[in-house]
Amino acid sequence: MAAKLWWMIHKDLISECRARLVWPAMLLLGVVVAVVFSVQMDLLPEEKPRMIGGLLWLAIFFAGMMAIDRSFAAEREQGCWEALRLYPVPPTAVYLAKLAVNVIALAALQCVLIPLFVALSDVPLLAYPWAMLLVAFLGNLGIASVGTLLSALTGGIRQNGNLLVLLVLPMVIPVVLAAAEATRLIALGDFGPAWWRWTELLGAFAVVFITAGTILFDFAIEE
Amino acid sequence: MQTDAVQTTGEKTARGEILLHVLVGALVTAAVLAICLFAPTEKTMGDAQRIVYIHVSVAWLGLLGFIVMAVCGVLYLLRRNLAWDQWSQAAAELGWLCCGLTLVTGSLWARAAWDTWWTWDPRLTTSFILWMLYCGYLLMRAGIDDAHQRARVGAVLAIVGMLDVPLVAVAARWFRGMHPAAPTMDPTMRAVLLSSVVGFTALFAVLLVRRRAQLRLEHMLDALQRRIDLNQLEL
Amino acid sequence: MTEPTVAIRARGLSRLFGNRLVLHRVDLDVAEGQSVALTGANGAGKTTLLRCLASVLRPNTGEVRWFGQLATADPSTRRSIAMVSHESFLYPHLTLRENLIFAGRMCDVGEPTRRADELLARIDLSGHAHRLPPQISRGMRQRVAVARALVHQPRILLLDEPFSGLDARGTDWLLGLLQGLHARGRTLCFATHDQEKVRRLADRVLELRSGRVEEVAVDESSVSEEAPALRAA
Repeated sequence: MAAKLWWMIHKDLISECRARLVWPAMLLLGVVVAVVFSVQMDLLPEEKPRMIGGLLWLAIFFAGMMAIDRSFAAEREQGCWEALRLYPVPPTAVYLAKLAVNVIALAALQCVLIPLFVALSDVPLLAYPWAMLLVAFLGNLGIASVGTLLSALTGGIRQNGNLLVLLVLPMVIPVVLAAAEATRLIALGDFGPAWWRWTELLGAFAVVFITAGTILFDFAIEE
Repeated sequence: MQTDAVQTTGEKTARGEILLHVLVGALVTAAVLAICLFAPTEKTMGDAQRIVYIHVSVAWLGLLGFIVMAVCGVLYLLRRNLAWDQWSQAAAELGWLCCGLTLVTGSLWARAAWDTWWTWDPRLTTSFILWMLYCGYLLMRAGIDDAHQRARVGAVLAIVGMLDVPLVAVAARWFRGMHPAAPTMDPTMRAVLLSSVVGFTALFAVLLVRRRAQLRLEHMLDALQRRIDLNQLEL
Repeated sequence: MTEPTVAIRARGLSRLFGNRLVLHRVDLDVAEGQSVALTGANGAGKTTLLRCLASVLRPNTGEVRWFGQLATADPSTRRSIAMVSHESFLYPHLTLRENLIFAGRMCDVGEPTRRADELLARIDLSGHAHRLPPQISRGMRQRVAVARALVHQPRILLLDEPFSGLDARGTDWLLGLLQGLHARGRTLCFATHDQEKVRRLADRVLELRSGRVEEVAVDESSVSEEAPALRAA
């Protein structure tokens, strides 16, 4: 199964590299949102360290959802989705492959957004890179785990009216809150029990929803 | 002879239902009377404090609705019987309503207690997110025509939402806290609160059963219509 | 005399779409090595039935078994089956060769690269191996789609209107291929409007009407009124 997982991830990444449809749009949206937010932050310069966590993660969420929304849509539109379901591949593997691709997409987004926020706001988010990396990774996992499952669930429905973001946003509030707080504490250099608590919450969220995703994915893609 | 037996059973059920409704009506009336007349007036907030009896009741019911919705969702996925989905839908509608009332009563309480229309305190935040989850669920369902697809999508959404709620509650509580932590209540007040919760829960249960019966009838009508169409095809 | 193995067994398949009962307690047996044609008017449910037999569509009631094993049991049971559908199942940003290699990898084919090259040679498209699906003609795409389905040498092949949109040369090629597979003992089940293909390829004909399946003699199966253009050819 690991081999099939790898090849599915490889297939999606190659397709995206050649098509160049989703990632550029995602990065552009992220940058635009970041710039707009930084204008807001400039109005209250003393508040920047407190605001930056929330704004960063909102930017990551909205831009990232663009990529997650498309993660199944492309395959469906191209008429390849049913083939994946016909192959002797466990649905869990398909879920984990799509999850991995979405995590990679969000990571690429963060590679652009975090330095951008640092540049625009002068808040030292990258002073503790390992901590930032951990929070970013766990936050990614959280958003992607829920987003991937719900994207699969709603993708097949013609009248879904772009409800995906509306469905996912309330569900990932714990992630956005926790990641924002952890980021804020990183900016202050405060690694006390509060930071650990928020980071553990991120971890717990990721574990719960990746597990839920692997179990529920089969039901989500059924027809 | 057979029709007589059926009629008497029918009458018995109807009579039983009337009694049940009367009982529930009595419970609710008792609760409302208790809130208005028996509950002592609170020291600092005065009469406005009485809204808390309703607020706590509907808050609890908002959560109960979600739990019922999620559990019935699981049962649908396991048994594939649309009856479970009807219970989910009924619970979702009532839960959404109760959740909305929680937000409204919470807002009124906040206005009376802290002179603001809204606070981001943990319990209200959790209620608001719960309300958003309900909205997403109902909106998603409204867009799907096929009964089984709607049931399946609803079930997955409900289960994911249910897993989410505790995490939301934890995150909200760690973020900040302004909600009156279970205030030490006067024993009379506690009794009134209990009667309010019991009364409204009974009302919720009755409405749930009624709404589910409505959905079941709709479903049966659809099935009959299909059978008619099928027969017409074969003529 | 030993009983022939039952390749596909469907019992009590029913499927609702919204308010329409498309399949109504369909029972179906296809023995190994048989070639069965599914006919019926547009919208009769041929695609639905095929998709249920391929287990990509879950019936509201009933079950499907491939060589005795429940279709829904384990993903590995899918090795016995393949489907050629309306959609080409080809990724537009992967070359033909990459598409076939990917299919091979998903189906646990040993040496998928060699198999892909082999298949491309068999369908006469080796020269186009590095082109993308949108860059080739419909007929060529259909050939690749069929090759993709055969990458893991499935014992059962389901085809949904495989001849639609093909020119005379493409049709002859596909017919020849399917007749060859049939001769080598593969089980075929295909949906079609085309009476001539039915005669040349099918051992049995099942007609779908009002959600039910009826066995019809090969020569007498009715042609749908909705496809007069095909009849004229």
